[in-house]
Amino acid sequence: MTSKKVYIASTSMVRVGRYFTKSYKELAFDVVSELFGTSRLGDLNNLDYVIVSNVFSDSMLDQLDISAILAQELGLTPKPALRVETGESSGLTAIAQAYALIRAGLASSVLVIGVEKCSEYPTTVVNKHLTKLLDYEVESIYGFTLVNEVALLMKKYMREYGYSREDMSSWSVKMHSNAVKNPYAQLRFTVTKEQVVSSQVLSEPVRQFDSFPISDGAAAVLITSNENLIVGDDCLEVEAVYQATASQLNLRDELLELPATKHLLSKLLNKCKFDIGDAVMEVHDSYSILGYLVVEELGLARRGKAPETINDLNNVNLSGGLKARGHPIGATGVYQVAEVFKILTSGLGDVRRKAMWGLIHSMSALDVNSVGIVVRRCS
Amino acid sequence: MKLSIPRFWRRRFDYYSIKITECLDCGRKSYPRRSICVYCKSRNVRTVTSAGVGEVVAYTLSYYRIEGEEENTPKIVALIRLDEGPIIIGEVVDVDKSEVREGLRVEGVLRKLKSEDPGGLIYYGFKFRPLIRDR
Ligand SMILES: [Zn+2]
Repeated sequence: MTSKKVYIASTSMVRVGRYFTKSYKELAFDVVSELFGTSRLGDLNNLDYVIVSNVFSDSMLDQLDISAILAQELGLTPKPALRVETGESSGLTAIAQAYALIRAGLASSVLVIGVEKCSEYPTTVVNKHLTKLLDYEVESIYGFTLVNEVALLMKKYMREYGYSREDMSSWSVKMHSNAVKNPYAQLRFTVTKEQVVSSQVLSEPVRQFDSFPISDGAAAVLITSNENLIVGDDCLEVEAVYQATASQLNLRDELLELPATKHLLSKLLNKCKFDIGDAVMEVHDSYSILGYLVVEELGLARRGKAPETINDLNNVNLSGGLKARGHPIGATGVYQVAEVFKILTSGLGDVRRKAMWGLIHSMSALDVNSVGIVVRRCS
Repeated sequence: MKLSIPRFWRRRFDYYSIKITECLDCGRKSYPRRSICVYCKSRNVRTVTSAGVGEVVAYTLSYYRIEGEEENTPKIVALIRLDEGPIIIGEVVDVDKSEVREGLRVEGVLRKLKSEDPGGLIYYGFKFRPLIRDR
């Protein structure tokens, strides 16, 4: 079997935010229309598969089989469609599955749609659905949620490395300053360390400004092995894709490491030889402490040093990250891919880098189901 | 009806006591009860009932608001190392937030987890309070 090259040929996004006047169908329609308008996809003949990434359709939209409903709504029938769900990493899993279909020769072009609509209900209801990211029978039934585990981790990190609460705020400050330049970001304003440390406590020491906002969003990516669908120089090749799972927090011997992320990064970086310091990266930072730990797993900072070095890192989360671009749960991984695509090609707004390599990382909860993808600019 | 009788009932011994997994191959103990050892993946394991006593390894005071959990907010959530060895995540009750600390000795106590008031099902399960009696 010849090994097929897999390309990211086109991407589109709506600005992450709260769309009280639009449904998930309208958001998906907007991004798919833009993608059809700007790509060379033309009619449906060039499309083989539709993959929808969405986490809360049954919880918040009373909808199962959202991929069929969207295929109907967007005029994509009779193309095969399916939904993927791996918690918060669903979006990048969808991209990984598109890659797998193409590599297996079962499709030459796959449309990946990430869509999530969290603003339909008040925050307490969204929070209830977010508790489902943990194991219901042993964790959520007791009323525990991800932010509690994140708080335990953050406290341990601060104790271990001697950081104050204010020291830990540099991630949020950096992400907000990045988001100001991203036209698709939800929180396009700067914050100060003082604002972070005086924001509402979620689970001490974690505060509101350490956390992602509640977001709606939709993004679409065209993955293909068909070189005719590449527009000009706007093209990335997918070099490698890895995924990994890990045990929950209380079973880990090393609390301040991210086991699934560590596992997949070692495989990714073993396969693709490039200088990570020169790559453009989008990583999962649902909470600031997780951003620090990912940066340390990537080797961009030594263990315990990320809060001191993040301010100098100018190739990580140029979008603003989950913290400030926003976190439309099932759509987030698709956004990350679209952002790296734009940064390396025509620009994310004015944010553009000459780099050859990109790395996208996503995880669910405390790194229990994680995905990493390495991409390379075609020209 | 939000709560499920069969779903809870079949795990009643997991909720009304603390069951841990002991690996007969590598010797490590882990929570929760499973049919595999999470560390060496062996299926040669047995279930052991914990005495329910341990100490707080780390804790957080949670104000995070979850629909249906309003009555029980804020709450103290902790990692607790059971005397048998494994770490469990548990809620610490019957303690002022100024008194909870790392190293605090705690014991399991049966408490209400969720209910369908009025007149509905009630789920009970273990929480932890400061150790008040010698064993
Ligand atoms: Zn074992």
